[in-house]
Amino acid sequence: MQEENESRGSDTILRMRGICKSFPGVRAIHDMDIDLRRGEVHAICGENGAGKSTLMKLITGVYQPDSGSMELDGHPLVVHNPNDAYAKGIAIIFQETSLFPDLSILENIFMGHEVRKPLLGLAKGPSYLDYPGMRARARAIFERLGMTIDLERRVAELSVASRQMVEIAKALSFDSRILILDEPTAALTNKEVDTLFSTIRKLRGAGVSMLYISHRLDEIFEIADRVTVIRDGEFVNCDNVSAVTRDRLVSWMVGRTLDTLYPKENVAIGEVIFEARGVRQDGVIEGVDLALRKGEILGIAGLAGAGRTELALLLCALARKDGGEIRLDGAIVDLRNYQDAMARGIFYISEDRQKCGLVLPMTIRENISFPLLRSISGLLGIVDLRRDRDLGATYMESLAIKAPGMDFIVNNLSGGNQQKVSVAKALATKPRILILDEPTRGVDVGAKSEIHHIISNLAKSGTSILMISSDLPEILGMSDRVLVMKKGAKQGELSRAELSQEKILHLAL
Amino acid sequence: MEKKRVVTREFTLGAIVLIFMIFLALTTGFGSTSGLFSMMLDVSPTMIGAIAMALIIFTGNIDISAGTILGFVGFVAAILAKAGLPFYVFMPAGILTGMALASLNGWISVTFKVPSIVVTLAMNMVHIGFYVTFLPNAGWVLNLADSFTFLGQGRFFDLVPYIFVIALAVSFLFMWIVKYTKFGKSLYAVGGNRQAAIYAGIDPNATIMKVYLVEGLLLGIAGILKATTANRLMPSVFQGREMIFIAAAVVGGVNIMGGSGKVLGAVFGALLVYLLSIAMIYLGFQDYYQFALQGIIVLIAVFITVTDWRPLRKRIARAFGQGRLPEGGRA
Repeated sequence: MQEENESRGSDTILRMRGICKSFPGVRAIHDMDIDLRRGEVHAICGENGAGKSTLMKLITGVYQPDSGSMELDGHPLVVHNPNDAYAKGIAIIFQETSLFPDLSILENIFMGHEVRKPLLGLAKGPSYLDYPGMRARARAIFERLGMTIDLERRVAELSVASRQMVEIAKALSFDSRILILDEPTAALTNKEVDTLFSTIRKLRGAGVSMLYISHRLDEIFEIADRVTVIRDGEFVNCDNVSAVTRDRLVSWMVGRTLDTLYPKENVAIGEVIFEARGVRQDGVIEGVDLALRKGEILGIAGLAGAGRTELALLLCALARKDGGEIRLDGAIVDLRNYQDAMARGIFYISEDRQKCGLVLPMTIRENISFPLLRSISGLLGIVDLRRDRDLGATYMESLAIKAPGMDFIVNNLSGGNQQKVSVAKALATKPRILILDEPTRGVDVGAKSEIHHIISNLAKSGTSILMISSDLPEILGMSDRVLVMKKGAKQGELSRAELSQEKILHLAL
Repeated sequence: MEKKRVVTREFTLGAIVLIFMIFLALTTGFGSTSGLFSMMLDVSPTMIGAIAMALIIFTGNIDISAGTILGFVGFVAAILAKAGLPFYVFMPAGILTGMALASLNGWISVTFKVPSIVVTLAMNMVHIGFYVTFLPNAGWVLNLADSFTFLGQGRFFDLVPYIFVIALAVSFLFMWIVKYTKFGKSLYAVGGNRQAAIYAGIDPNATIMKVYLVEGLLLGIAGILKATTANRLMPSVFQGREMIFIAAAVVGGVNIMGGSGKVLGAVFGALLVYLLSIAMIYLGFQDYYQFALQGIIVLIAVFITVTDWRPLRKRIARAFGQGRLPEGGRA
């Protein structure tokens, strides 16, 4: 293996030097160097939010770097858009499929770059699509991948794994020399992963270079030749996979200092009030147990796709569970739907406040009182506007929502203030159990610490909190206890005394 | 896992149309020369209109003003013919009118990012209002010129109307265009997955503008054909035809949400919708019963093409004691 790497040697196909990319308020990628060699599988590894996706979007022209240079085969490389990337032999297999479900496999592979034949025998005249030509090429590609497939099948009828093969075939139809695989195994079964890996090996044998993004360490050790670790948008280290250990990789991935103050105060923690036993959803969540005490903050950590949000949805009846039980104050409850859960004091604040949390074109006041409309309405369901305004004023003040007034449109607020409105909406219902899903995602540092204060005060006043977060320092700073999830199952639980970034990552990876 | 679907939806539809025709011929006077002639005469403009609408629907758009455009094209061609101009003037003029009006719809929708259903609904009202207000005599053209109606009256072998031959030619041409040109493929791409279309180097806005232009061309042809079979007409008289076109496309298996369907399906859909109305006439239903029944058929067709059958299949599989979906179901 080692010699094999050496023999492929210094033959670099893609070289990135000093790449920087910032978005308003966020430094996504800073001074990044990456070398991709010919015919290697190069893993890119890092925590959630480390900048992996941004990096791939820079290579495929979705974004343009602010500074730095890229070279392809020693020539300067500028990629204007994803289509341009294809034309230059760089293809990406998207996490979310970019296929046309109602078209056939053949049509999908050649969409946008069909094989054409001149219509009247004139080289420059009108042309028509050459189906026999496309079929022959597609067959050759699938042969290269070692599979036979009916090219006329509709993509919608295929399994996730087969769709991925179609995406790979599409990439190869551009004669791609660089293939980027972004979490390709996320939705595959073990058997399908084996098929994918044998395909990857075949392609590597044929000289295709691959960037393989994954946070599943086992896979990296199985398939990759070299690995680059990035953290907070910066290059950390790069080495041959055969020369690193699991522990080394984990230590490269963490090693971040806690630079934000987390104001979690010590609160007397009461008896268990909410409990889940063996909660499961077929194919998504496998029998999770958890217990939440009065005034406790239970952090839920795990990588993207570990099933954290899915678990939260089960707990508050936004998704239907296929088994297990939920207990409130020791008694089994059957939560029929989310309204039912809310009536029992369980409130969920979505990670996607734009889509699921707030009604953006409406005012702060209206958003806050939505869950309470029934209780502040009088005869015939007419809303008591005075009580409505009182509510708005109370929470504007207590959460320090920065806006000209309560009749300000939510859409025009900053991310942090939008999140505060989400929280206000929850608090107005006086929940006993609050489930927060990524409470500070996309929020600036100042608002972040204010939100942490609010959460901490809530716990102090006796509210029990489940906090899902991908932000490890936040989990470490705020939680009394942490539950770590992986592939839809509970992987372990850590008390505050045992908490460390390494321990959480070891369980999560 | 690689099972091939042998019987396509279009094949089934074609069979239904054929059986329906045989049934009608056996039980009524439909099979007579005059019955067949009037069928071919009546269905031709609808066939072309349904194809035009199908192309628009492929991209996930719609045109509610298609009926009025059709009528205005007929009007323009008819008055030019009445003014004594030859067919090589009034025909291109009519077609260009259709193209201009339809591309205006597309341009407004794309430029101002207004959903096409809103644009074309509004433009439909604008058209009707203008025609009735500004055209002399509300746009009625009586006693159409012979140079005009000869196209509508003419027939081959004393049976097949000229215009049916034109409609067939247009059908075959567009079946070919949709399958064998980049333009045809891009319609499905834009309607099926806009983001993926962009990533495949297809400009959705340009595609939508183009498809409205082509729709206008087809509406121009259909409008002239329709007008030549009449002996008098006014531009607003075809208002509402767009619903028949949409019905035909949808019954023909064109997904109203965009991204899938076949030109052949729309053609068969047009035939089927026409045959249904004929059958209802023979059965003695009144106009508005026919209307209601056509509406119900459209609803059923939409339900079949748009419904995601997987949850239902899952429930059926469960009811029969199988926990898992067969290959092809989404995990």
